[in-house]
Amino acid sequence: MVDAEGLIAVGAGLAVGLAGIGSGIAEANIGAAAVGAMAENEKLFGKGLILTVIPETIVIFGLVISILLWINM
Amino acid sequence: MLLPESMSKILVVGTKDQLPATIDLLYSLENVHVIDFPSDGEEGFTLGSPLSAASDASLKLLKLRSMEKDLEIDGSAYKEKISVKQIEDTLQSTMDEIEKQISGIVESKNSMQTRLSELNGRITLLDPFKKVDLDLGLYRGYSSLGVIAGYSQIDPETALKDALQNEYELFKGSDSFIVLFVPLSKLEEAQRTLSQQGFSEVPIPEGKGMPSQMVAELESEIADVNKQLEDIEAKLAEIRGNYASFIAAADEQLSIIVEKAELPLRMGATEHSFVLEAWVPEKEFSSISDAFSKKVGDNVYLEVLCTKDRKEEHAEPSGYNEEEPVEVEEEVPVELKHGKTVGRFTFFTKLLSTPRYNEIDPTITIAIFFPIFFGLMVGDVGYGIPFTILGLIGLKRCKSDEWRGIATMLFYGGIASIFFGLFLYGDMFGIEFHSAEVGAISWETLLGVSLPHVLFNIGDFAVQLGYVTKLGSVKLLLYACIWVGIAHLILGLIIGFYNTTIRHGLKAAVFEKLSWLLVMIGFAFGVLWAIENLITSQAMALDSNLIIALVLAIVGLLMAVKAEGGTAIIEAPEVLSNVLSYTRIAAIGMSKAGMALAFNMIALEMIAPGGGIMLVLGLLVFIIGHLMIFILAIISAGLHSVRLEYVELFNKFFEGGGVDFNPLKIVRKHTIATEE
Repeated sequence: MVDAEGLIAVGAGLAVGLAGIGSGIAEANIGAAAVGAMAENEKLFGKGLILTVIPETIVIFGLVISILLWINM
Repeated sequence: MLLPESMSKILVVGTKDQLPATIDLLYSLENVHVIDFPSDGEEGFTLGSPLSAASDASLKLLKLRSMEKDLEIDGSAYKEKISVKQIEDTLQSTMDEIEKQISGIVESKNSMQTRLSELNGRITLLDPFKKVDLDLGLYRGYSSLGVIAGYSQIDPETALKDALQNEYELFKGSDSFIVLFVPLSKLEEAQRTLSQQGFSEVPIPEGKGMPSQMVAELESEIADVNKQLEDIEAKLAEIRGNYASFIAAADEQLSIIVEKAELPLRMGATEHSFVLEAWVPEKEFSSISDAFSKKVGDNVYLEVLCTKDRKEEHAEPSGYNEEEPVEVEEEVPVELKHGKTVGRFTFFTKLLSTPRYNEIDPTITIAIFFPIFFGLMVGDVGYGIPFTILGLIGLKRCKSDEWRGIATMLFYGGIASIFFGLFLYGDMFGIEFHSAEVGAISWETLLGVSLPHVLFNIGDFAVQLGYVTKLGSVKLLLYACIWVGIAHLILGLIIGFYNTTIRHGLKAAVFEKLSWLLVMIGFAFGVLWAIENLITSQAMALDSNLIIALVLAIVGLLMAVKAEGGTAIIEAPEVLSNVLSYTRIAAIGMSKAGMALAFNMIALEMIAPGGGIMLVLGLLVFIIGHLMIFILAIISAGLHSVRLEYVELFNKFFEGGGVDFNPLKIVRKHTIATEE
């Protein structure tokens, strides 16, 4: 039989890994647009940064789930 | 300190003969933010015209700048300061002198540079023909022969033989350069054949003689010209050495004169008078008024038009009407006043946006929370000390705003890292001072000394050397982060409440901000309930916490819906995501500790016990590994601390988009003002 703990570990890894890919895809597009906007107007750095990091919350969700799984292992 | 400086709008009116004195005065006050006079101004007024000094000074400045270009002077490289009086006395004569000295030299320099590029161009043309060393005279002057020269990717000999039935002469140079002589009747055929072989033609240069010899001659001429150019450069360098400081200083002085003389362009004027509107800090007005009466007496009239309050009037547009354009509220300039420490963090506020006149300047929240977050994430004495030292050096040495911003971040973040590393986590380079686990590495076992567990007592409270570990107390840290987040967000909402109150009044603030405050507090009770019931006892019980949570959240949400409409419901989950976002503090701390653990294990437990050379190798791995974590810490901890401020906190109250207070002021770098 498959070890239950091992499955939990795999689940935890998937949670953070997939969430990371998701925020990566989202941030890539926003980041590129933000750099483009900054090239036109340097003052937009702050706003660009904020918009770029918004999807980061997704990976935090993944991380929280994986930590919760890990603690319950 | 919390709100930007209170501003008064002043009106200055005077006769035109007082204009130069008034302008000098305005610049010397360094507290006057001029409002541009509208170009479609009021009736009877036109825009002012520059003072007469402007045209003469501009002309001289133009000449001076062309000299700077000829002499390749970079103003910032010269530190010498020259008094204004000396510049005024000697400007004309010195400029004439410089002009006399450089005029011939610069012209010959330019003509030599032109000659140089001509010669180089000719060499590039001739170069391929060196490979088929035929006299250039042989390439032209035939009545029945055509000549083609160029590069062919494939050797065309066989193809040409077939196409031209041997009626041709082909010269092959090295690296695929060919020259082909064919009868004119076969020229087209030859061209077609060659183009099939990937041929690109080059023009045949003018002139007579052997190409290799011609190139050699040209090269010796280039060497000659280069030598002359060097002489000229040396002469220019000498002139530059003699006059550069003076030119830089004169440039600055003339720029100041031009800037001052052009100030009337921002004023309104009639035939004999001028009118100027400006913002000044309210508390400075009395000193400004004193200065006016002392310098220009009763000849210039000065009056406070209004002192701007912070309430926003809702300009309700009464339908589209071209006759009466809706008056756009003018933006009041914002001056941020802080002490030295908080002032260093202004960079981070301005990086996002300058605050508006009627909102709390968030710099102080950055100054308090940024180091705390940074310290909680890094939380290691071993990284904290170098951060602090680097930051201190940066603050002492760096001049540019960007580097000073980074140095500020490192210095205060470093101090917080040392603090949390010592008292909260009790570790250095990811190694605890003393480990609870038997057999694990700690500084006690490494150094073989006994470190105190309790550092000192405050009353009955014993301050220990570390309470939790980043990897061992994950649950506790996550829980703590959520509470840090809730506290931080509640603070943000309170500031938002205050901002809305001064802007739109109490009623709007209650519905727009208090509502979310209630939801947030309800959420906090919800967290308490969830921890107690769901996680600890794994049961869903209806207790007082849950009831308080639900009541607060529902009431708050209803109020928010009234203020913002249905979007409030869509925004509601943001409360959860905002709070969870703070768990990154624990997560980043964990990732640092995890990496440190790995490197320590490799270096200290796997390599170093080998002794001898292995000990050195282990130390090397230890240093490189921790250097990597150290650099990553700047990026991850720094960026995420800033992000928590910008995204989570500022969204609750910060609007931004204000105009910087930009008073008239003269900055002298190369000149010393002389008192008149």
